[in-house]
Amino acid sequence: MRRVAVIGVGVTKFGKHDRTSAELFAEAAADAITDAGIAPRAIQALYFGNVTGGETERQLHMAPLAATLLGLPTVPTTRFENACATSHVAFRHAVMEIASGVSDVILVGGAERVLNVPTESATEFFAYCSDASLEQPAGLTFPGVFALIARAHMDKYGTTEEQMAHVAVKNHRHGKLNPKAQFQKEITLDTVLKSAYVADPLKLFDCCPFTDGGAAIVLASEEVARKHRRAVWVLGTHAATDTMFVHEKRDLSRVTATERAAQGAYRQAGKTPADVNVVELHDCFTIAEIVATEGLGFFEPGTGGLAAEKGWTSLGGKLPVNPSGGLKAKGHPIGATGAAQIAEIVTQLRGEAGPRQVDGASTGLTHTLGGNTATVVVSLFGRD
Amino acid sequence: MTERAVHLQDFLAEARAGRLTGIRCGHCGALAIPPKEFCESCQQREWQTVPLGGAGTIVSYTVIRVAPRGHGGEVPYGVAVVRLEEGVSLLGRIVDIPLDALKSGRPVCFRPLEISGQLLIGFGPA
Repeated sequence: MRRVAVIGVGVTKFGKHDRTSAELFAEAAADAITDAGIAPRAIQALYFGNVTGGETERQLHMAPLAATLLGLPTVPTTRFENACATSHVAFRHAVMEIASGVSDVILVGGAERVLNVPTESATEFFAYCSDASLEQPAGLTFPGVFALIARAHMDKYGTTEEQMAHVAVKNHRHGKLNPKAQFQKEITLDTVLKSAYVADPLKLFDCCPFTDGGAAIVLASEEVARKHRRAVWVLGTHAATDTMFVHEKRDLSRVTATERAAQGAYRQAGKTPADVNVVELHDCFTIAEIVATEGLGFFEPGTGGLAAEKGWTSLGGKLPVNPSGGLKAKGHPIGATGAAQIAEIVTQLRGEAGPRQVDGASTGLTHTLGGNTATVVVSLFGRD
Repeated sequence: MTERAVHLQDFLAEARAGRLTGIRCGHCGALAIPPKEFCESCQQREWQTVPLGGAGTIVSYTVIRVAPRGHGGEVPYGVAVVRLEEGVSLLGRIVDIPLDALKSGRPVCFRPLEISGQLLIGFGPA
């Protein structure tokens, strides 16, 4: 298999937009192609992610539309959908197409637009990512799924609502340093702890927002990437799946797909958790960050809450997590999130992250989770 | 396969009538909620239908206060994962239990619930 590198990244401002998902992706993609310093026609395929376009924009077949708006109407395209892990799944498949020798340069990413519909509609469309036979009729929401996980983690390990609040405070502190973030404002523990319950024990400020935005990355074979001074290598990328049914999860305090995806990615990269200097992980809810830091092997099971409380995952801490502000403050346009996380890690490894730069970072990890913890992709990146 | 498969429609129709149906692997004995083709544990396809009593305990729970469209009039409502006495779990809506009385380990019992013609798995007092 051939080595694969990221040679260009592009991310729109995250927040509310009046443009369509396809337009948002095209903007990010044009920025990524410009960043790569290649001719647009060098792109041989588009791997595009979007989740709710059929519902929020009455727009399917969005991948060729995005290619058309980008000015590349003849490039072959594929649309991916794996809930919130969508564009990280697309990334993994693009890596495989280059590694196998089929293509040399692929554009991958995604976009989402949901702030054009009422919150209750967006909540409904996101809930489509859970099982429609038993879970949707029960009125289970995504905050509800992670509330079940939070309760199980609290019962098993004594994790507290205050420890979860520390994750929100830290990610908002990081988001203030990211000009692309939806929220660039610090919050206090009190703000989180006094916010209204959405799904007990999760409160409004434990939850990431609904977000519009797009993100894109340009992937290249080693032969092409060698000409690029700022290339960042894909060291490993692994996907894992777990049962779709919440009732079939063996232990609600864990996300086993995260553990399996991480093991596969570390093995492929020849790395261990101790080698990782910077992480972008899926903090759709504060508890999700705590459980992910355990599942990725950074902290022992049950100590992720303590790590957040002690500041170990803060910029300046022993392992900075979500320097971009994470889904919590940067925002979570679900079809774009995986690509946006990769863009942040690439920016960090290039040493171009400005005030949120993790000094000397040479190995980075991205983790994206989809749906009822059923889909997880973990990737590792490094400089030469 | 020794018996006809329990499809989702069968499971829901039985549940509507107040009966919970599980399937037990005739090869390794694993218990599951249908529908399922292969047994996850032993990869065989030898399911037998087994009635489930409906009694169990709460494994984890939440109180939903921001609902999806269509459930707005029902908030706040409890949702719990319940481990049934037979050893298999099921997710459902809490019925007739005060929300502040919910806790992990609390005994509950299955009851069918219908809201706007849609069947829900419900769990009420044991």
